[in-house]
Amino acid sequence: MPLSMKKNFLKPLAIVFLGLLVVACVKDTDFDQADDIVLTPVVELDLIYFNIDASEFYDEVSGTPILTLSDTTEIRFLDDTEIQESLKRADFYFRFTNSIPRDFLVDFQFLSEQQDTTYATQTTVIQGTVASPVVTEFEEIVEGDDILALTMADRVVVSVTIPDADPSLEGTLNLKSKTTYYLEVRDRQ
Amino acid sequence: MRYVLTSILALCLTVCFAQNKQVLYGLDEVPQGLLLNPGAKVPQKMHFGIPFLSQLHINGGATGVSVYDIFGKSDVDINTRIRNKIFELSNKDYFTATQQLEIINFGWRSKKEIYFSGGIYQEFDFITYFPRDLAILAWDGNRDYLDYPFDLGEVSATADLLTVYHFGANKQITKKITAGIRVKLYSSMMSIRSTDNAGTFTTTLGDANSENIYEHTVADADVKVHTSGIASLDGMESSEIPGEIIGRAFFGGNIGFGADLGVTYDINDNFTASASILDLGVVFHSKDVETYHATGSYTLDGIELIFPPLSAGQSTLPYYDNLEDEIEEEIPIDTITSGYSQLRPVKFNAALKYSFGKTMGKSGECDCMNMGGTVERDQALGVQFYSIFRPKGPQMAGTLFYYRRLWEFLSAKATYTMDPYSFSNVGLGVVTDIGKFNFYVAADNLLRYGNIAKAKSVSLQLGFNIKIDEE
Repeated sequence: MPLSMKKNFLKPLAIVFLGLLVVACVKDTDFDQADDIVLTPVVELDLIYFNIDASEFYDEVSGTPILTLSDTTEIRFLDDTEIQESLKRADFYFRFTNSIPRDFLVDFQFLSEQQDTTYATQTTVIQGTVASPVVTEFEEIVEGDDILALTMADRVVVSVTIPDADPSLEGTLNLKSKTTYYLEVRDRQ
Repeated sequence: MRYVLTSILALCLTVCFAQNKQVLYGLDEVPQGLLLNPGAKVPQKMHFGIPFLSQLHINGGATGVSVYDIFGKSDVDINTRIRNKIFELSNKDYFTATQQLEIINFGWRSKKEIYFSGGIYQEFDFITYFPRDLAILAWDGNRDYLDYPFDLGEVSATADLLTVYHFGANKQITKKITAGIRVKLYSSMMSIRSTDNAGTFTTTLGDANSENIYEHTVADADVKVHTSGIASLDGMESSEIPGEIIGRAFFGGNIGFGADLGVTYDINDNFTASASILDLGVVFHSKDVETYHATGSYTLDGIELIFPPLSAGQSTLPYYDNLEDEIEEEIPIDTITSGYSQLRPVKFNAALKYSFGKTMGKSGECDCMNMGGTVERDQALGVQFYSIFRPKGPQMAGTLFYYRRLWEFLSAKATYTMDPYSFSNVGLGVVTDIGKFNFYVAADNLLRYGNIAKAKSVSLQLGFNIKIDEE
């Protein structure tokens, strides 16, 4: 196609395009508002649970009590970058049902990958009996700077301490727990 | 520049009826009309499109929501507006975008009075239904939705990038009937689809016998994502990708076949009926295919600690890994590399046209060459019907139109289109034939051009051709 013809075509094409863009206008909008978009889900999630039988606090072989039982689990998502950036508050809820006639001290120790303690809390569980187990509820609300510490951790160590134990001790200590995570997810660039 | 960019962004965001070219359909002055009805009447003797400029089509939109609904200036916080929209929309609402660019188009009338036409065009087509439950879960979380089964089956989306090579034949069979067929060869560059999914996610409060406070249950999950032409891009440098994709446009990717059928029937002097079925075809995905399929049910109770007696230095039990393994076992995600075939979205057009006014051109009231056929007149009124098969069933639209040939070189068509979501879609198309040069532009939702942000959909087609008329 000769050059002149090409020119003849480009012009109307440009005019049509520009015309459409001019006629088609976008009014009364503010796309900067996109920066204000924030998702605020509140997520309920089970945490840990256990059932400890009273006999576990006594070592039959050596004939000595084991006063502290301890176990660790990873909570790998807790120190994810997304969680570190988005988590604003975490409400831990622990419900102990105790049919062992002893009070317990329960420690929750949050550790980082480097085994440093970043956050810790503890509670006392009231004694019960096999006939009438006692429920102890414990809530721990973590927010503000504590959230930064909590989200440095990726595991939790749970230690259950009994003041004394003997072979005749009966009953179970049961724990059920959950966490409510309050998130604020926004586009960070 | 920012203004232009914003306009384009708005076009893309709003750009509702993907692929409905209601203004162009039946506009016989435009050679590309043959792509909408291979059995259309062809007035010219020969045509060829200006390469890359013969048809540009952009179409996009959303049902139930416009850009303005979200980004309009308002005293109400944008997050409140988004949340309100999430609850207002249903899982049948959708977002869609289609773009087509014609690379080559040509046609000629043979000695046996058959009009052959062919060409190549590139198409991008995307649709996603609104996964309402997942949006609620993401926006609000599960705290206020205990016992509510979030439906994972609401996920339904497809996206396709392909090149279409086509060739068709059109002939006036009798005085009243013109029919045509077009065969198509699809060369798929990329395809991703996830449809017919199932499953629920429910958080329920446990009872005294439950292991933990809640039970988080995924029930009967069956979620599938087909990808084709995507997996191999994973390990590639970003600079290599465009070349790779362009290569696939020329049969380097997955291949498919299809056909368009169409017919025009002159009922009498004034009434003409026409209908077409487009993209009756299938693409066979066999190369570079990865399908991810997750199935199963699982109830999560959290992590059970068993306080094993450990001696110093012994590592603890890998509870978290075990949990992950357990989930993967109960709801395995299989990667399948065997091929699959994909039906193209079939489109159906039909129209009834009443022509009136002055007779035009050579076809006078008494045209001995055209006995029994409709006489060409300078005005017409009519109705059109359009439907396209989408993952959740057909989407339909009805159109009323008025056509007027203003001068020998300029015709215009105005349309009013209704679909289940919009009753105010006015469109306009203009075709000019200046000498051998043919130019057309068609757009809908014109009432919204004053503020395109308020449009739920926009469709635009334009292009240049060279047409050689019958001597």
